[in-house]
Amino acid sequence: MQLDFKARELTVKLVYYGPALSGKTTNLQAIHRLVSPATSGRLMTLETRDDRTLFFDLLPLSFKAGSGIQVRIKLFTVPGQVIHNATRRLVLQGADGVAFIADSQHRETKANQVAFLNMRENLKENGFNPQSHPLVIQFNKRDLQDIRTDEEIDTLAKRGKEPVFKAVATRGTGVIETLLGLMELTWARLESEHQLQKKFGIEPERFLLDVRERLGVGEAAE
Amino acid sequence: MATLPSELDVVASDGIKDVAKLEDVVDREALMEVCRSFFDLFGLSIRVVSASGTLLADMHEQRSICRYVNGFLGGKAACRNIVSAVRETVPDEETVVHPCFTGAQYRIVPIVYHGRRVGRFVVGPYMPAEQQEIAPTLLNVDPGINAEEVAQRMADMPKVREDTAQRIVTHLRGITGLLLFSGHRAHLTSEMHIASVRESYRELAEKTAKLQTAYDRLKDLDRLKSNFLATVSHELRTPLTSVIGYAEMLESGMAGDLNSEQQEFVRTIHEKGEHLLALITSLLDLSKLEQGALTVKPESVDPAALLSDIEKTMRPHAHKKNIRFDVDVAEGVPGLQGDPMRLRQVLFNLTENALKFTPEGGIVHLSVEPSVLESEGDMLGAVLMAAPEQAVKFTVRDTGMGMPKSELSKIFDAFYQVDGSSTREHGGAGLGLSIVKRLVDAHDGTVRVESEVGSGTSFMVTLPAS
Repeated sequence: MQLDFKARELTVKLVYYGPALSGKTTNLQAIHRLVSPATSGRLMTLETRDDRTLFFDLLPLSFKAGSGIQVRIKLFTVPGQVIHNATRRLVLQGADGVAFIADSQHRETKANQVAFLNMRENLKENGFNPQSHPLVIQFNKRDLQDIRTDEEIDTLAKRGKEPVFKAVATRGTGVIETLLGLMELTWARLESEHQLQKKFGIEPERFLLDVRERLGVGEAAE
Repeated sequence: MATLPSELDVVASDGIKDVAKLEDVVDREALMEVCRSFFDLFGLSIRVVSASGTLLADMHEQRSICRYVNGFLGGKAACRNIVSAVRETVPDEETVVHPCFTGAQYRIVPIVYHGRRVGRFVVGPYMPAEQQEIAPTLLNVDPGINAEEVAQRMADMPKVREDTAQRIVTHLRGITGLLLFSGHRAHLTSEMHIASVRESYRELAEKTAKLQTAYDRLKDLDRLKSNFLATVSHELRTPLTSVIGYAEMLESGMAGDLNSEQQEFVRTIHEKGEHLLALITSLLDLSKLEQGALTVKPESVDPAALLSDIEKTMRPHAHKKNIRFDVDVAEGVPGLQGDPMRLRQVLFNLTENALKFTPEGGIVHLSVEPSVLESEGDMLGAVLMAAPEQAVKFTVRDTGMGMPKSELSKIFDAFYQVDGSSTREHGGAGLGLSIVKRLVDAHDGTVRVESEVGSGTSFMVTLPAS
């Protein structure tokens, strides 16, 4: 997180991690589509080859929160392919929260595991404790055949401590929920670390309501 | 509160740069071009100022009315006030319209990127088309101002409707947004390229360091092995000498006469003892060679004499196995500088091997001829090199079983035998060739091998001539 006290500006970095072709970029594209242009900037894709992310995608969201603070949320994706580990580690630097995008298909179970272990490794390399770092998991591609069942995921989710979301990123389903879930965890963590309410006058509940509203799922929409 | 950072961190903690300064990502030339074409298209003056107040592009023309007004003391002062007020206006999120006493106005447009104000445009002055009358503030600014003159000079002041002005400004924001986006992306791409390369380099450097450590450790172990070999060989040799000595004494009847069976047994003990001694001596030689402890005492050596010496020693063995043993000495073989004992050992080992692996009725051919020292690799640019060094080439050729190509690179390793089972059949510990290689190296020579399975093997030893 970056705080610019003079400019009353706060920047939060969230990273979308996951195996190759699990739909990280698709998540960002859906957010870009769903969130109003006033909040979302242009989706920046760095160097793609054959529709695969080589470096990262960046979607900037920015808005003025209730307490007059300019909030900037930077959403990044990492390149999923195994060979780009150096880039993944770089993108993960300074990440305030991570959304792990898993592929629901049975045959991708192994790839999910490998990517997850790789993420834990890279979190450690970046000086984070994977046990306590804000993390949510999204099971994407719920519309495909031969996927892990809802019951299976729900049972497994109860064993883990991180929130689990289900999504069809191509249709935009579950995408905003995932982002909000991650934002909530991240904010709780930042609040406890930096006492933002005390120092900055940002009240957590108010702030999260602002975020919800900005992402188009404000109270009116619920 | 004072403990919070007050300065904007230009480089984010993740190393992925944010746009903090307009001038970092936008090319001034390109910006100037955009402003020029904007001016050509709309006839409006435009300035681009970064958040830090730096003027990045300036495309303006002094209007006739401005020149006129500036000719009066009151007009000049009023104009200066307006200009500095416009310059200091920093819009928050929305466009600010700043009026001029002439009735014209300026539009000050913020440039916002990723929720951050990075600069602003100043467009104007222009006259709102809605305004028909000459502003009283203009006529009152100085007593010398003439209303008719003003009306005339107002002609070249651009007149723009407010909603049009707003649309023009929106268009301008769009173009700048795109410029910023492209600039930022290019900037990030190059940053990432460099960072990725650096990260990969760091990873490789770490791995190299690990390998180096492992390599150093293996080298230590290897040294330990050589020391061990040397010590053990030495310790083995002492009691063995006694065993051989006492066997000799028994054989010679110093302890009384032996019957034929006892003679036979003692002779076997003696023979096998000598075998063992030879093996231990080779081991000792090898470990000395590996430690670099073996010293070569160079003196003049006659290659022909060396060959004849070997012939004398080996001919009986060849005869016993019914192998034809040919020795050829070519004309004009130069003399050598080397250790005669060691060179003898080289040729002895090679010839012994050749005889060992050649079946009955085969041929072992030993020859020496003048040659030049072969250099490593190809002979590209050979013409530029010094004249080739004169050398002596020994060849030991046999008609034995030969070796497959894949094995040839390993045969000089200690304890290596192409076919493990041949140790039992032919004896030997696989030390001969590794000793040969090390001795030839110690003489700055080369040893090469050519072989074909089923038809035989040739060893070529080339040593520099004296």
